[in-house]
Amino acid sequence: MQVTLKNFTKTFDDTTVIDSMNLAVNDGEMLALLGPSGCGKSTTLFAICGIHRINGGQILFGDRDVSDVPSQKRNVGVVFQNYALYPHLTVFENIAFPLSVRGDSKPDIEREVRAIAALTHIEELLARRPAQLSGGQQQRVALARALVRKPDVLLLDEPLANLDAKLRLEMRSEIRRIQLETGITAILVTHDQVEAMSMCDRIAIMNKGEILQIATPTDMYRAPVNKFVAGFLGNPPIVMLEGRTSGDGRFLVKEGTSLPLPARLAGMPGDTPLSLGVRPEHFGAAGANRVEGTISFVEPQGRETLFDVTLDDGVVLRSIQPARDDVVFGQKVVWPLDAEKLLAFDVSGRAV
Amino acid sequence: MTRNFSAWPIYALLGILSAPLAIMYLFLVIDTFTNAPPGSLIPNEFTFHHWRFLWDPTVTGDVWGPTLTTFLFATSMVVIVLAISSTAGYAISRLNLPFRRFFLSGIMVMHAFPSVTLIIGVFLVLQYAGLYNTLIGVILVKASLMLPFGVWIMKGFYDQVPWEIEMAGVQDGASRFTVWRRLILPQVTPGLLSLGIFAFIDGWSEFMLPRILAPSANFQVLSTYLNVVSDPNSTTYNFNLFKSVGLYYTLPILVLFVVFQNRLMNIFGGGTKG
Amino acid sequence: MRTRTSLLGLAFVSPALALLFAFFLMPVVLTTVFAFTNMSTSTGITGGSHVITGNLLRDLGNAGVDDDIVAALSEGSFSVTPETLAAAAEAGVEPRFLGEIESSLMGQSFEDARSFESALKALPSRPTRIRDLKLATEPFERSILNTRYSSRAAMETAIASMVPDAPVDTVSAIAEASYTGWRWIDGGNFQTLLDRPETIRIVLNTVFYVAATLAFNVFVGLFLAITTFYLPKTGAGFFSVLWLLPRITPVVLYAVMWKWFTWDNGFLYVIAEQLGLPAFNYMKGSVPTAWATIILVNGFVGASFGMILFSGALRAIPVQQLWASEVDGASRWQQIRRIILPQLRWPILFVTSYQTLSLLSSYEQIWLTTNGGPGSTTTVWALEAFNTALNNYTGNLEYGMGAAMALILVAVGLILSILYLRMFRFDELVNKPRIEF
Ligand SMILES: Nc1ncnc2c1ncn2[C@@H]1O[C@H](COP(=O)(O)OP(=O)(O)O)[C@@H](O)[C@H]1O
Ligand SMILES: [Mg+2]
Repeated sequence: MQVTLKNFTKTFDDTTVIDSMNLAVNDGEMLALLGPSGCGKSTTLFAICGIHRINGGQILFGDRDVSDVPSQKRNVGVVFQNYALYPHLTVFENIAFPLSVRGDSKPDIEREVRAIAALTHIEELLARRPAQLSGGQQQRVALARALVRKPDVLLLDEPLANLDAKLRLEMRSEIRRIQLETGITAILVTHDQVEAMSMCDRIAIMNKGEILQIATPTDMYRAPVNKFVAGFLGNPPIVMLEGRTSGDGRFLVKEGTSLPLPARLAGMPGDTPLSLGVRPEHFGAAGANRVEGTISFVEPQGRETLFDVTLDDGVVLRSIQPARDDVVFGQKVVWPLDAEKLLAFDVSGRAV
Repeated sequence: MTRNFSAWPIYALLGILSAPLAIMYLFLVIDTFTNAPPGSLIPNEFTFHHWRFLWDPTVTGDVWGPTLTTFLFATSMVVIVLAISSTAGYAISRLNLPFRRFFLSGIMVMHAFPSVTLIIGVFLVLQYAGLYNTLIGVILVKASLMLPFGVWIMKGFYDQVPWEIEMAGVQDGASRFTVWRRLILPQVTPGLLSLGIFAFIDGWSEFMLPRILAPSANFQVLSTYLNVVSDPNSTTYNFNLFKSVGLYYTLPILVLFVVFQNRLMNIFGGGTKG
Repeated sequence: MRTRTSLLGLAFVSPALALLFAFFLMPVVLTTVFAFTNMSTSTGITGGSHVITGNLLRDLGNAGVDDDIVAALSEGSFSVTPETLAAAAEAGVEPRFLGEIESSLMGQSFEDARSFESALKALPSRPTRIRDLKLATEPFERSILNTRYSSRAAMETAIASMVPDAPVDTVSAIAEASYTGWRWIDGGNFQTLLDRPETIRIVLNTVFYVAATLAFNVFVGLFLAITTFYLPKTGAGFFSVLWLLPRITPVVLYAVMWKWFTWDNGFLYVIAEQLGLPAFNYMKGSVPTAWATIILVNGFVGASFGMILFSGALRAIPVQQLWASEVDGASRWQQIRRIILPQLRWPILFVTSYQTLSLLSSYEQIWLTTNGGPGSTTTVWALEAFNTALNNYTGNLEYGMGAAMALILVAVGLILSILYLRMFRFDELVNKPRIEF
């Protein structure tokens, strides 16, 4: 089922949280709504599932305008951040609830619940109550309950935020597996770029109620539309250098250092203010240009090691490299910079 | 706390301050089973004589009729207060209503407002409604006067239930009524239980309303019964007997209090009339 | 976008609204309205009728109404109408005689008995005995005296027919004065209250009662909360249960227990006798002991309210603060003064406000113990209002006056409770519903 938001606007009292947003989620796709906390992701989600009324625009499921349709009739499954399991019901009863409300017969309910429990791997938990489950198990139950009605759309609001790191990894792939197996259209709300990139077909990145870019994770990482997107994606994050073009294919950092510009920008007129984004993997691995500096910080991360390199004039570049211990703090290094992969943004923050 | 300190001065002070209460309650129990010689407080014989009112209606009149009425009264209180507070409290806590805020403020003003001052007005309302001197009239009045408190307490309990449960219910296709009935109400059972017990105790103890609003009715509740029985100017002047009737009357709520003490603490703290 | 009113919500609040309307709002309205009337047992609470009584006539005479009119009203007249004929038939007057009266005198009126009798004597089948004749005239007598008229217009018509030459405004004034139901007397009740010497006394009593009981409640409540906070669990539990008992003990039994404690031959009496101290009925025997009794009676119930709230607030104080102060070498008293009491400011204010209001209006315990005595030395405003309107031994309950007295309490209660609502920000405890459909 395709989900389309047209000029969707949402206001709380006097503050407009979402102003005229447009978004289309393709049938069977899993889309991430990614953005910092408070940017309006949950608000968007709640509008789609019918908890919030919209102040303007339309919400379409396929061709059907559901803007004024109450939640009960939208056939949307939602997994809430805190799972919202019904504490007084067993897992079985929790999952059966949507079916029993619909008036399904006992044997039907029994069969459906067992089927969905098998899909989500919780068959042996059916007799327990939510309080007797671990976080990951609760998550699976919440998923099962959201899916048992065979909804047209599945919405997940920060589903992994309440899990510890190990479970988060496990549930990440589980949710994706279940989504792919059911082929359901899904929207995942998250503030975690790793989740968004690893789980979803496409990412819609939001800031302050606005969608900045919709693209596949790779495209978005490689070609962010603006500084915000570039900064939001990538861990360790991109380093932004402020400065101006020299007019001869180089970039003069405010502090004085001169770095090469990518070839596509070589023709830029001189003295144009720019921000140059250097991702850690673009410094220290390969590239034609050599940059000299002093190691000012070393962070071994196991498989990789992260370095901060301070150039002569104080500019700090970051580098991530396969784990190595031949370089130590205070050492002078000359490392290659892959100038062609650098990202550049104009004064308004747009990519150039 | 952490540092040792001698507790006995505190016990002594507390003991002196609490002495009247301790004495009154101690003798409330002792005196119903004993006799003391005139001019003395120390009992010298054990007897069930003071409890004979239970089987001998010539002592103080029939006690079982009033007991039944009181039970009916208190139970009606529980039913009405629970039914109305659990619905109205939910509506105020969760549903879209015009003037919701105003209504809630009204409830709170009524809760703080000393309702006894309305007794004259209530008397007139009952007169006009033809409910004066009827049990149903007294029940309705007592339940209504308890409502602001009940609604306020239940609203508090509903506020504690996570919104997400409600949202999940709606997403699962349930109507708001079904959500309330099957998902939310079970979450507030502790509240219902506390409020129910409180309503029962309050109804069981009520004296003013039956006495004033149904003075010549053909029913009696235990409070008015005890009041008539225990007139110190009456010919049956005998505190041992008064206390026996009183203890009999109070026993059920003492039991409830002992069993549900912790639940009631919340409710008392929630702002009963001081 | 407008959030729609939830029909379920309306259905859910309407029973509460209906009951609150009937037993909160209506009583407030009725109290307000009837505070400006002279409603009492004798006027009845529904509308009255119009009656001219002997007393009223006397009053009218004294008030300067023309003596002739008064005299005319006090006399009857005789008229032959279908109603009087029916009354006569009922009274057993012989039918043939009645028939003659009907045919020859129908519609006629006679100023006095003599002229009516002579008219009757002219009829063929009149009774032979003069006594029977007199008896037969009686049903035809129509006196305005003690006759009930349902409306004022009917009364005016009746008066006009009795004294046709009376001036219109006199007639209407008499009709007005003949009304037996309650009537508007504007601020009359309040004026009476102002004029009464007892009023100031009752006000002072009330102030004293509220202040003294409140002080007891707050101080003892604080004392109990703090001591039980420091005591080991069992000791603390014992005392808090003991102090909670009065709260759940039915008021009638509680009063009986206090009577036993203070009455003739009661506990204190016996002790005092044995110690050679003055022994009497402390509850009713002297003013100071009566006051002490009602303050303690109420205080022992009220103190637990403070105790509960203060204990809750105390438990909310982080223990680390107390430990820290002990490490700093604070004595227990300093700990209480410097750390505990400042944090109890709001609970103390709340208990004070809340109990001021409830003490101001409470009279149940006083009614059941001293009942305002000895004399009216311990009568408080609320008790007096209640006695005036609902509990008067003379039999004439003055609803109007009682309502006026209650209205003052209602007004104070409303103002204070709205004030508290603001002060304690209770009205900010409302959140918007998050499900907007
Ligand atoms: N019910 C509400 N009333 C008023 N403001 C709200 C409400 N819900 C959310 N907001 C505001 O809308 C903005 C977006 O909130 P939300 O959608 O929850 O953000 P997030 O992206 O973290 O999920 C926030 O600034 C929040 O304060
Ligand atoms: Mg959110």
